Amino acid sequence: MQRKTVFFSLLAILVSLSLILTSACSSKTSSTTTNTTPQVITLNLGGENNTIDPNRASWVGERTVLVQLFDGLLTFNADLTLAPMVAKEIPTVANGGISADGKTYTIKLRNDVTWSDGTKVTAKDFVFSIKRLFDPDLASEYASFYFNIVGGEDYYSATDKTAAEKTALKDAIGVKAVNDYTLEIKLTDSLPTFTQLLALWPVFPVRQDMVDAHGDAWAQPDANGAMPYYIGNGPFILKEWVQNDHYTLVRNDKYWGTKPKLTQIVFKEIADANVSLAAYKNNELDQSGVPGGTEQTTMDDPTLSPQIVRLPQLTTYAFQFNVTKPPFDNKTLRQALACAIDRAAYINEVRHGVGKVALSWIPPGMPGFDATLGTDWTFNVTKAKALLAQAGYPDGKGLPELKFQVANTGANPTIAAFLQGQLKDNLGINLTVDLMDPKAYSALYNAKEFNWGFTGWGADYPDPDDWLPQLYMTGAGNNKTGYSNPAFDALATQALKELDNTKRLKLWAQAQALVVADQPMIYIFNRETFVLQKSWVKNMVTCGLDGNIVGDTFLRDVYIQK
Amino acid sequence: MGRFIVRRVLWLFLVLFVVLLITFVLMHLVPGGPWDREKALAPKVVEALNKRYGLDLPLWRQFVNYVWGVLHGDLGISYSYSDRTVTSILLHGLPKTATLGILAFVFAQAIGIPFGVAAALKQNSAIDYTSVLFSTIFASIPGFVLGILLMVIFSVVLHWLPTSGWGSPQQIIMPVICLAALPAAQSSRITRASTLEVMHQDYIRTARSKGILESTVRVRHIFRNSMIPVVTVAGPVLADLITGSFIIENLFAIPGVGRLFVQGIFSRDYTLIMGGVLFYALTIALLNLVVDILYAAIDPRIRYE
Repeated sequence: MQRKTVFFSLLAILVSLSLILTSACSSKTSSTTTNTTPQVITLNLGGENNTIDPNRASWVGERTVLVQLFDGLLTFNADLTLAPMVAKEIPTVANGGISADGKTYTIKLRNDVTWSDGTKVTAKDFVFSIKRLFDPDLASEYASFYFNIVGGEDYYSATDKTAAEKTALKDAIGVKAVNDYTLEIKLTDSLPTFTQLLALWPVFPVRQDMVDAHGDAWAQPDANGAMPYYIGNGPFILKEWVQNDHYTLVRNDKYWGTKPKLTQIVFKEIADANVSLAAYKNNELDQSGVPGGTEQTTMDDPTLSPQIVRLPQLTTYAFQFNVTKPPFDNKTLRQALACAIDRAAYINEVRHGVGKVALSWIPPGMPGFDATLGTDWTFNVTKAKALLAQAGYPDGKGLPELKFQVANTGANPTIAAFLQGQLKDNLGINLTVDLMDPKAYSALYNAKEFNWGFTGWGADYPDPDDWLPQLYMTGAGNNKTGYSNPAFDALATQALKELDNTKRLKLWAQAQALVVADQPMIYIFNRETFVLQKSWVKNMVTCGLDGNIVGDTFLRDVYIQK
Repeated sequence: MGRFIVRRVLWLFLVLFVVLLITFVLMHLVPGGPWDREKALAPKVVEALNKRYGLDLPLWRQFVNYVWGVLHGDLGISYSYSDRTVTSILLHGLPKTATLGILAFVFAQAIGIPFGVAAALKQNSAIDYTSVLFSTIFASIPGFVLGILLMVIFSVVLHWLPTSGWGSPQQIIMPVICLAALPAAQSSRITRASTLEVMHQDYIRTARSKGILESTVRVRHIFRNSMIPVVTVAGPVLADLITGSFIIENLFAIPGVGRLFVQGIFSRDYTLIMGGVLFYALTIALLNLVVDILYAAIDPRIRYE
């Protein structure tokens, strides 16, 4: 190369580098010379949402965004009790909100709730939303939670019917606006936990004029990322959604309730845990998880350890049997295997010390949790061996091949290896492990063709109604174990209808006890979120219902103080 | 040449059809579908979803409908990004991926070719050894590792650059460097080898003995002839860079096509997968055609009928 060329190219490189670096540095200095701290928080959603249409949303990341933008009839407090929101009071039998037979709900609404454009929120907005939830063409995933509403399921199943028939079915749904501020809902059967369902996002109010005028595009960004038709009644307004990149929410200055101190929330979508942590350290994020396995080093780090926030989640994970396939149809064998697993070692080795041992299904922190259940099956090698012999396989002799299937993602290979190790070390049994493609595993699992798998469950709402019937009733939708116990079915059917809360919880307690005794799953641990949070984020209240961002349920109460 | 191009374009349509057919068949052979989750959906919900997206039709019907749609410019609706059309999703991600790819390509060639030429012209000198050393290093470090390394140095420790995202010039620097590392190394090695070979040809000696200036010999004769292998490789390299590096896009949280496509595969988003494959096949085929034409422009010995 000519010397002149080398000189000029080096000069060009130096000039461009200095331009870029000075602009990078100058943006850093300008933020430290402001007098008032900007009330802006930047958080990581971790991935892209499918939709933020309340009637169609199902993923936890979608809920995170929705609860900032909408207020429902009711809401949850941090201790998981219910509180009224758009409704004046929680409907009960005592205040006439619920009829004596439990089938009619008459909910009085506040008359001062407004949408972000100033118009009033009325009962019609809820009627529209609930009917739309069952729209057969919408194919909403959470509609089945509300099938107790009269006519809901019929309308939802009407995909093949004519338009006239569909309209007739829609009009027959048991929800109506008695007047502007009174909502009436009729159920096919009493369901005491229906009030909790009224606090969830699928029945947030929805603007009929926006949906009628723009169809499904009401909840979609335009080419620039703006959301011109997306109107909510919550403390924040969605200013823009740049897809696969970020959301920007700004404060709703016309908010009907207590205005938040935050003026802006940015939700980023950084999928990689290492990058998220790097962004946190570079002050681009105010909260971040840590890459799996680094929890202990983070706890030992003097700068980072004061920033750790740990939140026990309402989740339980278990090694789930298919009790219809031998040899796992043998209850004593299942109990033997349960006693052979050192759950504390699991938490230390696989979860890096973050989480709590679980011996029963319903997690601590919600009604229905029973600390006395499952203690018969704690880690005890002698008992495990004795039970194994009792099951007909002394010292493992004569035991057919034990198979374990799991999706080949995340920590699952480690989990499978752990289980293999435990069985080998404690009982001398060999376990065949099959690491499968996630969708292939889901297909196998949903077809109930697996032998032994790993499953987790998180609360949609904090009640045994959400934890027991779907999983353990004979033939229930999420009952993949094949568990079938008529005594449980009877208790569950009764508990679902029982209006007296004390009696109801007692029934569920008995039902759970039956399940735990039969061990269709070996309960292992309750998960805990482990995140780092900047010290300038103040007044963050965490709650068992928080999603993938800690504190997202009460984000509206947060402020920044540097 | 004209007939050649027309024939290649006709072949292109056939190739795309076969690619779509094979992808469609493979996609449906693989177990699992878009609605398979660990927390199972109620059967009524699955039924409603299948109806909404036409998944309850027989497979051949679905394929025919799809191809018919493609011929009209309609690539279908994505299942994992609620109701956004595949065309709009790809168009949304394309500018970012293409910008990243093109910048990386330009950067790679701007670094690789000069160093390769310098290394060849001054064989066995300091420049030669440095060039070989760096190209070996950057050819061996995976882009992912380089990315994390750069991020730690420039974002976490020095706070000079933002870690991730897309939009400002500062955010492009690290992804471009990571993506360009391997092509730059390859380019440098190929250029060096090719230049060395051309340098020792008889016609170069002839040119010099005719009294032509050394600089003219270098540009007109050595450089132009040694570019043939580089151009051959450049086409597929550019196609590869433009069609998106999933790893770099995922790492730097860049909302481009590569990331979308791979996520679509994991979630069994059939229309997005087909759309992505169509886009890749088209880009690769077109770029290969461009390379072949350029080839003829550079080397007059090559003729097409």
